[in-house]
Amino acid sequence: MSFRKIFTPYIHEDKCHSLKFYQSKGGYEQARKALNDWQPDDLIETVKAANLRGRGGAGFPTGVKWGFVPKQVDKPKYLAVNADESEPGTFKDRLIMEKNPHLLLEGIIICCKAVGIHHAYIYIRGEFVFGANRLQNAIDRAYSEGILGENCLGSDFKLDVTVHRGAGAYICGEETGMLTSIEGDRGQPKLKPPFPAVEGLFGCPTVVNNVETLANLPYILEIGAEEYRKIGPENSPGPKLFCVSGHVEKPGVFELPMGVSLRTLIDEHAGGVWKGRKLKAVIPGGSSAHVLTADECDVAMDIESLAAAGTMLGSAGVIVMDETTCMVDALLNIMRFYHHESCGQCTPCREGTGWLEKIAHRIAVGGGRIEDLDLVTEVCDRMVGKTICALADAAAFPAESIVKKFREDFVAAIENGGSPAWVKRHPANTGGAAAHV
Amino acid sequence: MSDSNSTVRWTLNGTEVENEAGMTIMEAAKVHGVDIPQFCYHPGLSIAGNCRICMVESNRSPKPVISCSERIAEGLEIKTQSEVAVDARNSVMEFQLINHPLDCPVCDKAGECVLQDHSYEHGPDRSRFVEDKNIRHTKELGPTIDIWGNRCIVCTRCVRFCDEISGTGELCVVERGDRSVVDVFPGVPIDNSLAGNTVDICPVGALISSDFKYEARVWNMDKTSSVCGGCSRGCNVEVETLDGFVKRLTPRENLDVNDWWMCDHGRYGWRHLYADSRLESAQHDGQAVSPTGTSGALHQLLSSSSSTAFLVDPYMTCEELHLVRSIANSLGGSTIAGWLPAAGTEETFPGGFKISADKHPNRKGAEHVLGSDLFTASADQLKSALSNGSIDTLVAFVGGDGFEGAGGEWNDLISKAGKRIVFATQQGSWCDGADLVVPATAPLEKEGVWVNEDDRAQRTRSCRSLTSNHFPSELVVLQELQVHMDLRNRPLSAAGIFRELSETSDAFSGHSHSGLGDSGSPLSQRPAAMSSEGGHS
Repeated sequence: MSFRKIFTPYIHEDKCHSLKFYQSKGGYEQARKALNDWQPDDLIETVKAANLRGRGGAGFPTGVKWGFVPKQVDKPKYLAVNADESEPGTFKDRLIMEKNPHLLLEGIIICCKAVGIHHAYIYIRGEFVFGANRLQNAIDRAYSEGILGENCLGSDFKLDVTVHRGAGAYICGEETGMLTSIEGDRGQPKLKPPFPAVEGLFGCPTVVNNVETLANLPYILEIGAEEYRKIGPENSPGPKLFCVSGHVEKPGVFELPMGVSLRTLIDEHAGGVWKGRKLKAVIPGGSSAHVLTADECDVAMDIESLAAAGTMLGSAGVIVMDETTCMVDALLNIMRFYHHESCGQCTPCREGTGWLEKIAHRIAVGGGRIEDLDLVTEVCDRMVGKTICALADAAAFPAESIVKKFREDFVAAIENGGSPAWVKRHPANTGGAAAHV
Repeated sequence: MSDSNSTVRWTLNGTEVENEAGMTIMEAAKVHGVDIPQFCYHPGLSIAGNCRICMVESNRSPKPVISCSERIAEGLEIKTQSEVAVDARNSVMEFQLINHPLDCPVCDKAGECVLQDHSYEHGPDRSRFVEDKNIRHTKELGPTIDIWGNRCIVCTRCVRFCDEISGTGELCVVERGDRSVVDVFPGVPIDNSLAGNTVDICPVGALISSDFKYEARVWNMDKTSSVCGGCSRGCNVEVETLDGFVKRLTPRENLDVNDWWMCDHGRYGWRHLYADSRLESAQHDGQAVSPTGTSGALHQLLSSSSSTAFLVDPYMTCEELHLVRSIANSLGGSTIAGWLPAAGTEETFPGGFKISADKHPNRKGAEHVLGSDLFTASADQLKSALSNGSIDTLVAFVGGDGFEGAGGEWNDLISKAGKRIVFATQQGSWCDGADLVVPATAPLEKEGVWVNEDDRAQRTRSCRSLTSNHFPSELVVLQELQVHMDLRNRPLSAAGIFRELSETSDAFSGHSHSGLGDSGSPLSQRPAAMSSEGGHS
């Protein structure tokens, strides 16, 4: 069976986001079947059998996650849709919400039917004003057409969907951080256990799923778990959106089967490295992933293969850097982000992210010492796995891998009195910043 | 497997141990003598799990786990001294210190600072941090609380205290990352009756009491375990003095009374000890009496009295009241009544802490020693006896903070007695024209037992330095009077008097000073077979 696009087949067509268009392509048929013909447990089993894995970054099996939600509780259950897409290099959920919002809503209906949820929140990144408006319009339309509300699609199933806009914090994309933010508190992660499936939003059992994950559901019901598993590798099957940005001729979002080669993705789909330059480095899964060198790019873009290569699929945000990139500046850029976005709750992350940025900055402006390279590695070691959420890991992974794999760039910056860009701008000051250390 | 569901068998540092199910690793380890360091954990607050200093190695997790929140389980193996655990602790200490100003020489917390203690034990001896440190705000958060933001380690104990215990929620963390710091909302200062506790629970010198700021180095102060006299709750406190002068009060943990807290009325309510109007020496007909001559003058006045009445206050200890009773009994035909200051307002807090409306630390004790109608029927009788002039000599105790004497009505009535002997803490109209004015001890200067509103007997101890030249306490003066009256051979300690009380009073029988210890005991809970003890403690 040849690969069929499910998220992006019509995105270049006029009014592709409208309900009428969506329904003309068979939209909401799977939701209707799920509501009227399927038993909740069968839905969960099918998603488990399809081995759908979360597209937000961690790759947790979706059906298993649903199974953790207690069946009999006297509290309401919630679905929190993570649309806070803020991982640097990632812009796939945005496309779904802006071009195909009803696909997400259909996925939401199927998930809610499977777990017995009657209220879903969509936590959308604050900067996505256009996407939030599109989504809200789609929801309003779905209510007026009886797709959402008291009797979803003519069944006796009740479902409300609420859009909650974020306020610009990266940490609110972390699942428990997102839940505290929806609750109206300062968005910062909570201790686990209890896990959201047992005690999540407003203290009630909550499923937290990514936009792209939910958008897979209608297709799984349509073709069945067995066919779905044939797309891409057995362990992480399915169609996947890959975001390619950076130094390529044709950056953008590409819908391809899971497991496509990173080299193929860059060279064929994204038009290759721009300006005829050579490839230097690739971050394959959003800025939180370990960096890959040009030699390491013959790897399949799926969860297992990238893990085996010492990095991760993450959010599939592929950032391509050409040979002119100074990795000292790249490190500084990434560390500035994590320093800015650390919520400040846990000591290792609060202090470590700032420390890493300061070291990177010092090296970039000519104050670096050769022992700083070991220091970065040791600081990273002291951050990984020692905090409530994974933000410390997300900052440490790129830092330690960039310093390890591109050590020569750092040594050069230390010896030449700063990164090439700094030296070019401050030729007279070269080495001057080193003096005060 | 363990024999019952309520115990869990687990392994701590290679030794198999048992604990009650449901305990956290930190609590359970403490039972076995293993102290795990902590910053954000406080037994009275919810678990935040943010400081990470309590990380230990677990066989159930690839990463170190935080022992404040992880619970023990059957078969769990925890190592607190393994390489993983030690490195986790050391790394947290290094991170805590990189942006900390290390201004211990000018910090009021120095000497009792958790960060100092843990740094000494787990921290590096030099810093690898060569960058500029972050600067955060230093400002007033409220009338009694300042913040030194640079010192803050964002443990959120103070924030959780205001959310959970005082329920006032003034504090919050503002900013993110290493810019995070505790602050108040604009125009909403921290101003609640429990605010002072936030300074006590701050593990570093970030929250500072503006009352204690720059007053003393904590290691130079002497500590006395006492009881607050601000209300009938009887919060256990530590009175800290420098060169004999009180510098601050801090709460002392007592889970049966005040948990870990005390209110600001009590905390800052000791200034009257050093008021200008404080009485320092006895006055007989306007002439100063030497400290050793006070009891003689007292005896002289009482021995010529035809009818004597005693007016006691609810700040007096049970021992003092017992002495008054025995003196009154031997004089014959004398009456005893008590006065009560006006009731205040009761304040209760979401965390369970209560400030009692009854502002009398020993009303219950006075009723046990001198009868339940002491402040009611007896007081009414004395009032009418004083107004119709049938009292020849009145011995009035006017204690507490003493700025208002015994209150308007009593102050007028006191002056209607023929002869007046006034034990007072402060100068005032109640001393004018008195035949003998005797300086009295205030709460925090008394040695003895108070009984709080829950009928709990607790020892209040004097913060007065033994070496300073103080006037003798009522406990001494009254006993010396007994010596003059041939009722006693020599004065005893408060513990000795309490033993006499316990031998003559049903309410106190079986109790002793040493039995009450530091945290007191309900009067109904009598220790078994401890009667022979307590004379000379």
